[in-house]
Amino acid sequence: MAAGKNGMIRVLFFGPVAERVGARQIDVPWRAGLRWQDVRDELRARYPEAFAYVSIVAVDGERVGDEAEAPLAKDSEIVFMSPFSGG
Amino acid sequence: MDEAVRLQQEDFSQDEEIRALRAVSRRIGGIATFLGCARDFSEDREVSAIGFDAHHAMALAELRKLRGEAIEGFGLIDARIVHRIGSVQAGDNIVFIAAAAEHRAPALEACRWLIDELKERVPIWKKEITPSGESWVTPRP
Repeated sequence: MAAGKNGMIRVLFFGPVAERVGARQIDVPWRAGLRWQDVRDELRARYPEAFAYVSIVAVDGERVGDEAEAPLAKDSEIVFMSPFSGG
Repeated sequence: MDEAVRLQQEDFSQDEEIRALRAVSRRIGGIATFLGCARDFSEDREVSAIGFDAHHAMALAELRKLRGEAIEGFGLIDARIVHRIGSVQAGDNIVFIAAAAEHRAPALEACRWLIDELKERVPIWKKEITPSGESWVTPRP
């Protein structure tokens, strides 16, 4: 899974979430102890309408839940996703 | 022949997919298929096209995982899954699933399981394009 560069967390959006954020990618500066929930809280405050659709989160290609408290590694990738509708 | 699991913009050929599946083994006794198509009508309005967005790497990884689970769980000989992304016109193909087994029951059961799981687990999003505008589709059971 490709990841961010230079100590940035790469945050990706698709479908209805991307449309409401107005971007498919936002880079967030990494800092020690940063968890995916911290990134969500920061971005949710900036894009509340988009995050109202978010119900699925993946870190480095793996789905995570609220119980995943491990700090993010440098250059991690987070994806905030709405329910899927393929097929 | 192409990979057994693919995401692609272009249309696919059911005949070619089945031919590739049959070439895997002469022990195959049944192949069950599912073809998903783009409807021209949804939620009381005309639909002219459907746009598909996907997290390509995650979607492909999950589709490969699904195929492996189906082969293992249903004792399939092989399976193929092709899903289109980008813009699909009303009436066109969207997704094709084929499950091959020695007997019909596991092939049919696996095919149904694969499309149900795909809808739940694969990061693909559908947008309906209508004469009055565009809207993302909310999943339903």
